[in-house]
Amino acid sequence: MKQSLSRRDFLRAGALTLLGTAGAAILQRASGKAQATPTHPMNHSNDAMAMAVGEVDHTKNGFNPSDILTDFDYGKTSILENGQTLREYDIYAINKEIEVAPGIVYPAWTYNGRIPGPTIRCTEGDLIRIHFRNGSSHPHSMHFHGIHSAQMDGVPGTPGMINPGESFTYEFEAEPFGVHLYHCHAAPLARHIAKGLYGAFIIDPKGGRPPVDREFVMVMSGFDVDFDDENDFYAVNAIPFHYQLHPIQIKVGEKVRIYLVNTLEFDLINSFHLHANFFHYYPTGTSLTPSEYTDTIMQTQAQRGILEFSYKYPGSYMFHAHNTEFAELGWTGNFEVVP
Amino acid sequence: MAERTAATSGEKQQNWSTAIWLALPLVILGGIIALFLATGGGLELTSPAPVEALTIERVRLYPGRIEITARNASPKAVTIAQVIVNNAVWPYTTSNGATIPRMRTTTIYLDYHWSYGEAYAIRLFTSSGIPFDVSIPVAFETPKPDAKTLLSFTLIGFYVGVIPVYLGLFWFPALRQLGRRWMIFLLAVTAGLLVFLGLDTLTEALEQAAATPRPLQGNGLIGIGAIGTFFLLDVISKRQAAGGRSEASQRLSLAYMIATGIGLHNLGEGLAIGAAYNVGEIALGAFLVVGFIIQNITEGLGIIAPVLRDRPGIRHLALMGLIGGAPAIIGAWMGGFAPSPTLAVLFLAIGAGAVFEVVYEIAKLIQKDAAYKSAPLTVFSGVMTGMLILWVTGLLIK
Repeated sequence: MKQSLSRRDFLRAGALTLLGTAGAAILQRASGKAQATPTHPMNHSNDAMAMAVGEVDHTKNGFNPSDILTDFDYGKTSILENGQTLREYDIYAINKEIEVAPGIVYPAWTYNGRIPGPTIRCTEGDLIRIHFRNGSSHPHSMHFHGIHSAQMDGVPGTPGMINPGESFTYEFEAEPFGVHLYHCHAAPLARHIAKGLYGAFIIDPKGGRPPVDREFVMVMSGFDVDFDDENDFYAVNAIPFHYQLHPIQIKVGEKVRIYLVNTLEFDLINSFHLHANFFHYYPTGTSLTPSEYTDTIMQTQAQRGILEFSYKYPGSYMFHAHNTEFAELGWTGNFEVVP
Repeated sequence: MAERTAATSGEKQQNWSTAIWLALPLVILGGIIALFLATGGGLELTSPAPVEALTIERVRLYPGRIEITARNASPKAVTIAQVIVNNAVWPYTTSNGATIPRMRTTTIYLDYHWSYGEAYAIRLFTSSGIPFDVSIPVAFETPKPDAKTLLSFTLIGFYVGVIPVYLGLFWFPALRQLGRRWMIFLLAVTAGLLVFLGLDTLTEALEQAAATPRPLQGNGLIGIGAIGTFFLLDVISKRQAAGGRSEASQRLSLAYMIATGIGLHNLGEGLAIGAAYNVGEIALGAFLVVGFIIQNITEGLGIIAPVLRDRPGIRHLALMGLIGGAPAIIGAWMGGFAPSPTLAVLFLAIGAGAVFEVVYEIAKLIQKDAAYKSAPLTVFSGVMTGMLILWVTGLLIK
């Protein structure tokens, strides 16, 4: 968000203050005021913090970030003659009014009516077949981050760019394992992503990752509600402050794995900071060996990774972007760790 | 008798048909409006995007608290959804609910620990995602309307209005000794001063008009206020002339009119100072106050110029000084405690109209004077002197 104070106002105010300082003493004596330094008394008695007023209508939106956390879509599964697993998904693009912050309705573009779109989850080597229909008023596509043929890349000039009312089936083998993403690749790209066309795409290694107690998916994004190509609100899983209002419940000692994806448009980077704890970080999730043990990581758009941690002590712990501006504009939440 | 009745009834008939002819277009108009509202007249009248306008009327800062009063100047109700203070979504409450009906106001309360002297950018998001920005260039606790601040605003008005005008009046005994030609010169100086003040007032009115809610048509109010006042004063002075009053008494009422015009100008000055002081945009320095005193001393001079050759009593002079100077105090109070851009526009427009009418009266007075014929350059140099005095002294305070 841009600061709306103009430089000119600032200079004017500054000049006047300067002028004023010279004569302040005289005038104050005249007006019966004798304060030498008029300071504003700071009061820390209440714990003021950034927070939206009210809550969005999740039912009307058609999705709830609390459910999206653990909503992994394994598709319609069948085994092919060669023994390969086939996973089929039905995904449609549709224009939808979404209450993106309490009281603010935004004309979003969505996959299956939700933001982020469905979390597509499969295992390395599976055959993925995605039946995509465009029920929107603009051309859209599904561009997957992964290894596939050019024909399946979902960019302009390929058969995967779909006009309104038309459909297409993307087909490819899932590789490499890791946490990835998909998004619309129609032009103008920034607007198509910012309006809500993105989702997480998780490929498990054959045999799976080491077992954990809880798995969550978190897609970091923002909304530019006044269309000035700057985000006004930030969040994980679309709705600002949602996990501050509804903390994520976990238990002491539980192993937690987070699939974290950054789809944030307009801003150069995003970040994730965990309070009172450290996590193992697997960039892009393409290795089973963590690269770092830290409490803060940074991601640019389309960067993603896996976080693993467990809490030692019970209590309420924040997690948020350590771009603190994003945090105070909605990208913040809490883990409620119970004994 | 019979003839008269017939005439009356004929007249009555004519009145009736006139009334019908007058009413007919209005009746048809009513029908067309009804038809238009019912059918839309073939036009697509639903706006593709919501038209929303909020006018920020007041921003008040108290320890740990920011209060913003916003007026809805758009055709339909507007709902405040979220408030962002310096890039942080901030909880708020409102006085009259978050939905503001057309032309009504609500006050938004934010519990926010602002710091003295810092700048704040506040953004109000409506339910349509339309942002309205409020900027606080320098945070400063808003003076509360208690005895102490009332006194300081009174003193400000006193310094910039009353004192300089009275100081100007003190020139009266000295200026009485001047020759006729010098008196004409002084009248011309007064005209120059007034033209400058009139332009200044008009500019201020236009600036304030930009801050008024759109439906109140600030620029239209300037026209109504200024032109209305001009012609009203014209009527008053013509009546006095026609009423067979002596030239001396006409000159005295001209002096009163000048005092009134200057008073309204000073009211505007007070409004601006009070409002600026309130939002912390101005720290009234000694230089500024001295500048106002120097500039406004010429206003006292202007008031007495038409009556130099007469003998107005000390009571008249005192009253004229009060009319010319005291409104600065009232203006400071209003600007400080109950700023209303709309009222300010109206007062400033009235001031501009009064000032220009008085210039017109002075011009007539000079033309009537026989000495004028022999000294055309006197008027030119006088008017220029008047304008330049204010321009130069203005350098101190602008």
